[in-house]
Amino acid sequence: MRRLLWPSVFAAFAIAYPLLLSSPFQQRLGALVLLYAIAASAWNIVGGYAGQVSVGHAVFFGCGAYAAMGSYAKFGLSPLFGIPGGIVLAVGLAAIVGVPTLRLSGHYFSMATIAVAETMRLIVTNTDYVGAAVGLSGPTVARNVFDLSFISALPYYYLFLTVLAITLFITWWMTNSRMGFYLRAIKDSERAARSLGAPASRTKLYAFMLSAGLTSVAGALYAMMFGFVDPESGLGILISVKILIMAALGGAGLLFGPLVGAAILVPLEEISNNVLGGKGAGLTFVVYGAIIVLIARFQPGGILSLIQRHLRKDARPAGQGGADHAP
Amino acid sequence: MKLKHVTGLLSAAAMSIALAGAAVAQDKVVKIGAILPMSGGTASIGAHAKAAIEVALDIINNAHPELGKLPLAKNAGLAGLGGAKVEVIFADNQGSPATGQNQALRLITEEKVAAILGAYQSGITLTSSAIAEKYGIPYLTPESVAANLTERGFKWFFRTTPIAPDFVRIYDEFLTDMKAAGGKTDSIALVHDNTEYGTSVANTIAAGFKEKGRTNVIDVAYPVNATDLQAQVLQLKEKKPDVLLMISYTSDAILFAKTMQSQDYKPPILLADDAGYSDPSFIKAVGKISQGVFNRSAWAVGPAGSPSAIVADMYKKKSGEEMEDTVGREMQGFFVLVDAIDRAGSTDPAKIQAALKATDLKPDQLIMGYKGVKFDDKGQNVLASAYIIQLQDGENYVSVWPKANAEKPPMLPYKGW
Repeated sequence: MRRLLWPSVFAAFAIAYPLLLSSPFQQRLGALVLLYAIAASAWNIVGGYAGQVSVGHAVFFGCGAYAAMGSYAKFGLSPLFGIPGGIVLAVGLAAIVGVPTLRLSGHYFSMATIAVAETMRLIVTNTDYVGAAVGLSGPTVARNVFDLSFISALPYYYLFLTVLAITLFITWWMTNSRMGFYLRAIKDSERAARSLGAPASRTKLYAFMLSAGLTSVAGALYAMMFGFVDPESGLGILISVKILIMAALGGAGLLFGPLVGAAILVPLEEISNNVLGGKGAGLTFVVYGAIIVLIARFQPGGILSLIQRHLRKDARPAGQGGADHAP
Repeated sequence: MKLKHVTGLLSAAAMSIALAGAAVAQDKVVKIGAILPMSGGTASIGAHAKAAIEVALDIINNAHPELGKLPLAKNAGLAGLGGAKVEVIFADNQGSPATGQNQALRLITEEKVAAILGAYQSGITLTSSAIAEKYGIPYLTPESVAANLTERGFKWFFRTTPIAPDFVRIYDEFLTDMKAAGGKTDSIALVHDNTEYGTSVANTIAAGFKEKGRTNVIDVAYPVNATDLQAQVLQLKEKKPDVLLMISYTSDAILFAKTMQSQDYKPPILLADDAGYSDPSFIKAVGKISQGVFNRSAWAVGPAGSPSAIVADMYKKKSGEEMEDTVGREMQGFFVLVDAIDRAGSTDPAKIQAALKATDLKPDQLIMGYKGVKFDDKGQNVLASAYIIQLQDGENYVSVWPKANAEKPPMLPYKGW
């Protein structure tokens, strides 16, 4: 039961947040945290659990964003109809890209994913059908509620919260399934896992496809909220890096790690931009970058691992012992 | 120890009085939000635009009778609001449509601005103005040119800058006049990068030229921030177009000039579509080997003592750079917006919107070479226009067309180096 205490406190807070902090900007900030938490949690499946550090997740994010905007701009449908299309696109692409690239290990896999995402960005930039460099816009004035074009951030907030809950549930379910055990074994030592008969290639590919599908949902939600996607905002390398940093700083390979990372970095980025952005000269990024460097230097395992260690330390006098002293 | 405490208390008291005083004074401040790229690849433009707006603020908030008919210059503050001062809250869009939209929301709901100016990049103007539309806050873009911005049926969106269809008209009339003056203008090459700016402007010009009977147009595209443009220059050398119309950002414009010199290629007429060719760094780098290049600009310094010359001087003192077209359009847009607030006599969004719709500024009330400012139903300035300027004898552009505004006659053909 104790295990469920903190998650339920967090869940209660997440549900009540927009009522506690009700200014439009705070609500929007909350929605953004959840949105990036979805993307980072999706990345976590392949980057955290399987240990395959993808720096090209923007390509799946873009699949979702373009599918959502495309279903409106090309067919006059609600952007919602683009979500399944985006998932199919992203999962298919992950399968095509994954087969050759997942054989690569370490940095080589990361570089291959960057190359794929950048290639896609250039292709889209030069393809008139998807708006080329101009991008695609969503409905500017909502025709009905299914256009998901709201003034308030509140509907987005609860929509994102629901999707995040589903994403976390899928992740949790996966880690406790056979696939989760395979993934942990592969992460520790792929060779050892293979020698014990774990289907390493197939498992990694499935994780990659699952991660891609969920990332595309995040992309679709992003495009719906902002009502616009262009090659830079949908497929730019900054998206990939942002997702990765959030998961890594929060705690890659931990269920709530990406959420913690997003809950710290998104407000940090927005608030530092609000306070310093107007002064010019990119001071925002200096402060933002400095904090990332500090966390990476002093807590490379992610912030959540620090919190967990503290919780365990508190719990020790109660008799839980030092059994989990291992780093 | 005790004395320290007392001074502490005293200074706290003094500060709260000062703050209370500021709060009273704030009743007479009109806040305007400005969303600009202050970081990222276009940060230098953001910094220049900020300087331009600060110069405009100086003109508006202090008395500048020397500026003649320029609205808001004569007296300090806004006469329509009992001498209220204008304050601008600058926000960084970080080159991202998402950040731009977040900042628009913050400016509207947290800073309670009366109106928003922004956001340089067309994509960011698109997303940030959507928020202003939902909240019913006037949004004016002085410089974003993407055609679709004014096609969205928005009620709160206004644009002062000339856009691609205006360029078509200007280039067509200019080339007709050049032909009459003995130049060759039959075949045209549109040279452009693959960005939104490059492709959309090239497409509009190609379509517009076709309508006007200029069908001999070839299209030469290249990747933005190119490292090598030999192939494109060789292609042009082989096709021999009479007019080269360059739609390029600074670094590519510089590389084109260098490559054209090394390949010894000179077209009869080299006409540039603003952007990179207006950048002071273009002139510094390759001005000497680009003699005779024509360029579009709505900015011309004008004779000494004229309002535009005085404003140019103030801008140079502030930023250390020469005034050019982009910052000029930025400043002009800001003046139009504040003029509307002044005429509205209120910070009520609906009254400002109505005043913007009623805007009717004459050329002598502007610092830019527009034929005036008057918005159509879509919010586009129907009187937006531009001059053609030419780089002659050295490193300064002079206006050469139309004749009424020309400082010197146009020089043909393109001289190069």
